[in-house]
Amino acid sequence: MFSKRIAQTFLFLFVILSLALAGCAPAPQPTTAPAAPEATQPPAAPATEPPAAPATEPPAAPEATEPPAEPPAERPVLTMIFTQEFDTLNPYYTNMWFSQITQSFWNCWAWTFDEATAPVPILVSEMPSIDNGGITEGGRVLTFKLRDDLVWSDGTPLTADDFVFTYEMVINPANTVAQVSPYDLVKSIEAPDPQTVVVTFEEPYAAWIGTFWRGLLPKHILQPVFDADGTIDNAGWNRNPTVGCGPFNFSEWESGSFARFVANDNFWLGKAKIGEIFVRFVPDDASQIAALKAGEGDVGTFFAYSDVPELEAAGVNIIKSFSGYNEGFYFYLDPEKSHPALRDVNVRKALAYATNRQKLTEDLLLGLTVPAATLWDNTPYVDPSLQPYPYDPEKAKQLLDEAGWIDSDGDGVRDKDGVALELTYGTTTREIRQDTQAVFQQELAEVGIKTELQNFDYDIFFSGYGEGGPAATGQLDMYEYSNVVTGYPDPDTADWLCSEIPSDDSPAGVNWSAYCDEELDALFLLQATQVDDAARRATFHQISKMIYDKVYWLGIWQDPDLFGISDKLANVRISGVMPFFNIFEWEFK
Amino acid sequence: MESTINPSKGIGLLTPDELETPPLSLGELTWRRFRRHKMAIFGGVTLILLILYSFGGMLFFTEADANRTETGARLQSPSLAHPFGTDTIGRDILARTIYGGQISMLIGMTAMLVEVIMGVLIGAAAGFFGGRLDSLLMRITEAIIVIPQIFLLLVMAKFFGGSLPNIHVLGRTLSGSVVVIILIIGLTSWPYLARIVRAQFLSLKENDFVLAARATGTPTFEIIFRHILPNSMAPIIVAATLGVANAITAEAYISFLGLGVRPPTATWGNMLEGAYNYIESAWWLWFFPGMLIALTVLSINFLGDGLRDALDPRSRSA
Amino acid sequence: MTRYIIRRLLQAIPLLFIISVVLFVMMQNMGDPLATMGGRTVTRSSERARLTRQLGLDKPIYVQYLYWLVGNDWTKIDLDGDGVPESAGRRQGILRGDFGTSLVNRGVPVVKVIGDRLVNTLLLMLTAELVIIVGALLIGIYSALHQYSVLDNAITAVTFFLYSLPVFFFALIVMYIFAVNFKRWGLPYLPTVGMFDPQVGKTPSQVAWHMVLPVATLSFGFFAAYSRYIRSAMLEALNQDYVRTAKAKGLPRPQIVYIHALKNAALPIVTVVALDLPFLLGGAVVTERIFAWPGTGRLFLDHVSRGDTPVVMGLLMMIAVAVILFQIIADVLYAWLDPRIRYK
Repeated sequence: MFSKRIAQTFLFLFVILSLALAGCAPAPQPTTAPAAPEATQPPAAPATEPPAAPATEPPAAPEATEPPAEPPAERPVLTMIFTQEFDTLNPYYTNMWFSQITQSFWNCWAWTFDEATAPVPILVSEMPSIDNGGITEGGRVLTFKLRDDLVWSDGTPLTADDFVFTYEMVINPANTVAQVSPYDLVKSIEAPDPQTVVVTFEEPYAAWIGTFWRGLLPKHILQPVFDADGTIDNAGWNRNPTVGCGPFNFSEWESGSFARFVANDNFWLGKAKIGEIFVRFVPDDASQIAALKAGEGDVGTFFAYSDVPELEAAGVNIIKSFSGYNEGFYFYLDPEKSHPALRDVNVRKALAYATNRQKLTEDLLLGLTVPAATLWDNTPYVDPSLQPYPYDPEKAKQLLDEAGWIDSDGDGVRDKDGVALELTYGTTTREIRQDTQAVFQQELAEVGIKTELQNFDYDIFFSGYGEGGPAATGQLDMYEYSNVVTGYPDPDTADWLCSEIPSDDSPAGVNWSAYCDEELDALFLLQATQVDDAARRATFHQISKMIYDKVYWLGIWQDPDLFGISDKLANVRISGVMPFFNIFEWEFK
Repeated sequence: MESTINPSKGIGLLTPDELETPPLSLGELTWRRFRRHKMAIFGGVTLILLILYSFGGMLFFTEADANRTETGARLQSPSLAHPFGTDTIGRDILARTIYGGQISMLIGMTAMLVEVIMGVLIGAAAGFFGGRLDSLLMRITEAIIVIPQIFLLLVMAKFFGGSLPNIHVLGRTLSGSVVVIILIIGLTSWPYLARIVRAQFLSLKENDFVLAARATGTPTFEIIFRHILPNSMAPIIVAATLGVANAITAEAYISFLGLGVRPPTATWGNMLEGAYNYIESAWWLWFFPGMLIALTVLSINFLGDGLRDALDPRSRSA
Repeated sequence: MTRYIIRRLLQAIPLLFIISVVLFVMMQNMGDPLATMGGRTVTRSSERARLTRQLGLDKPIYVQYLYWLVGNDWTKIDLDGDGVPESAGRRQGILRGDFGTSLVNRGVPVVKVIGDRLVNTLLLMLTAELVIIVGALLIGIYSALHQYSVLDNAITAVTFFLYSLPVFFFALIVMYIFAVNFKRWGLPYLPTVGMFDPQVGKTPSQVAWHMVLPVATLSFGFFAAYSRYIRSAMLEALNQDYVRTAKAKGLPRPQIVYIHALKNAALPIVTVVALDLPFLLGGAVVTERIFAWPGTGRLFLDHVSRGDTPVVMGLLMMIAVAVILFQIIADVLYAWLDPRIRYK
């Protein structure tokens, strides 16, 4: 009897334990019951600086769209489906797109960009320019004038001190922020008065508009944390940024499941028409598509091209938003270690003529996009005269013949001086890229080029030279991915700078082509300092023409971000830089 | 507890000429018992059919057929031209399951070989020599058992991933990741076998015939491989059979999670990789390779079960 | 017994040490956490150099392991890149309970990252285990009492078939039938994704409803193994002398079966369960991935794909410790339940 009791007890405990877990773990809280009145009430007075808050709140109120007399109508919940979860919400600690796009909900950029990539001021009263005295000393000094009605969501005034604090946090080596650039170029940042921020550079800096003030850190919250810990790495705010400066306030984030943002009625550009944003994390496309089709999600993004017809059939609006990404080939061109064929520009041209990128975009990408001609397609710096190389396998064969690559041993693969025209062609494990590989392998085989296909996980494929990354160390003759020019919509890139060729001495270099074209290098260095936009555009036309003619980069397709938007929503505009830039204007029909 | 010697055990496995009336050889005995096991016969026949499918299919489809892309005919449902339909870039799924099957079976067999070699060597060394070597080897064995296999497989797949170039065997190009997958499956699955072998050795090494061999000065090597090992073959054969099924499933798991064999080499596992996104719209993408994996694993399991009964009838309850 | 437990615990120390070293070395080559940092572009060279230094990834591997093990608060590290160590380290090391901070969720302690998900995994896994035990007991007892009946053979065949199905294939099939097609046919269909429907909220009934398919997927394969185990244990118990004695005494059959025989047959099961339980901690990686269950298995996949050594190490070490502890518990339980066994 004794042992029986034990067995029973064991089983019984088991049941209790399971039930207890089931009962208490998911603390039953009506997450989405739209508690509009609670959520939208003015935030409680800040704990730190009580007197300051009331002083600044009145000016904010008259600017609101409706008089406050209106009864607080129940505002609807917007559900977004994300296939990846944020890593952190601190805008300076993440490179992750899914975290960045939420910054327009709860944080604030000094200016954002609309769907035509024109700047839209948020914190600044106007964009600095030479005419209004915002850009002086030939581009070395920028003066930002702030609006005078800015408040953090807890009512604390948002001033130039927060800008200076943000700068200090980003450059402080105790903080492991994701990007110090471009703040490392700054000589000093000063706040002569609460509404003025003056940034002084060592050298004229042209790219500021696409890189500066993307997110702001609240000094009154984080300064005490920094003083106590010596870093803000572990600040609770990074994960629970309860104080923000966007049209919504962060509310909660449950790991692996969801995050919520509720409307912030202190937002100076207008009160959001949506009461709450509910971001749901699902791990893959299939779940996302199912949710969008069933109407369980209003906004989805980052799905495959092949999902588009299904979504459109279900009445979901598809918005293509170009954000500077263009899928293309890079070539390893090291003067000694690379494949001898690739060093010949005619062989690279033959690759362009031999691959039917037009048909690929029609069949695999369902005609939703078109082949890319240059890395700057769909940016203001594109040279419209450049068109993608056409599909012409005969021309490709002719070019290869002329270059001396002929099939002398009759094995179907061209060769020259005993070297076979056999190229390693690597890319990531993304499905569409693997499919592209299979298609191109067949097309290249038809003109006598053999390819060896390789696939890598993202973090291995993009590993740097020091970590033995396959592309960085020249293990791949040609490698395909979609690169954006850093700091889109700014066109600058370091991918062809001679100083960025990685080596054992400078393993972090990003010029993985390992080729130094002096002329191109000079043009890239020139444009970085051209504050005059017209002159800079002209330089970029030269750059893209050179890359096009010498086929240093071969475009495959223009790679827009896809958004699926419920047809119940109105006023939705999607920007390539900050997709949900006007989220506070969205409304349900 | 471990070293209880069961006298009846030795007799069944003695060589026939040592028995007074040898009506049947060991092989015949085994076959008789095996034949009675209907499920095992079914498993064996199915397995042979599957092997015929994968290798006989080469007569009807070339590898080029399996890899030919036809982007205009993507995602076609099963039809006369493509009995199993086409995939996302218009490759014929029937042809791909044939060539994928070869690789899946190759992975199953070779990973099993790696497993058996490691398991037998380590288990035999630990069981026979005992002492320090035994505890060291058993600590290592435990260390591998302690982490669930799927985690080890994923970590190791990342560790070795992409580090091997493509290989050329018999005029075919195989992705280097095939070797990686074989290695990591073999390297993570031997501990159970090693434990079985060790237990066998522990009990057998005290048997009279081993003591006799030692007394006559037979070299250790010979004692291990000529005297003890043949007598512990039954559980090894069973474990090896089941090991093949385990390896095929393991390959499918890691491929399903996107860390398996890389294209262009098809396996049943990696054909399933992206198919999950088409669960609603294109069921044929995942149904056929999935079904083939399930059938193979099932028939191997039946076969293994039958072998266990036939080789060692008393182990039935274990 | 106490000495036995202490000896086993001491033996576990070198074991855990070996595991941690091997895993740590492997993880250094598992991918570059700074390659894109979850973004879509390659990390700039200057940022990479700075972060490598700040996160201590530029140190030789044995130093990194040492910091992971015992922390670095006893030494100074170089944060500003001038080559001179100037800042005091802040890490305490795993031996002092500091599992470090995640590289992906920079700054967030590993314990919190894992803890957030652990509850969900335990909920799923314990429920599955319960279903397995109850189901296997029913099947096993029935089969033992009706040995070689048609239904017994059918059950054996079906459970064996289920046992052979790869988990993901079973999951895809049940999803296709009970979610996709039931929906198409207008029947009440089961949810396939997540823990609850955001429109309704995280209520117990929602969570239970969302658990149906994952629990079914997790448990089906175990039915075969467990029920066969119970069946043979029952058969053996039913042939024992004391059962015959009970029969001879004219005890009612249910009492014989469910009290005398089952009592002895079920005991070994307890240890089997104890041995299997910790493996559930890691979560069924595949099941969580397919059904988007926010548990540790999915966490593992996400963080492995970004080379997040501290989180992956933390998770694996946690599982290893749990497995070892439960092995000892299983041994102890077994000895306690079966007086014939004695450990020295």
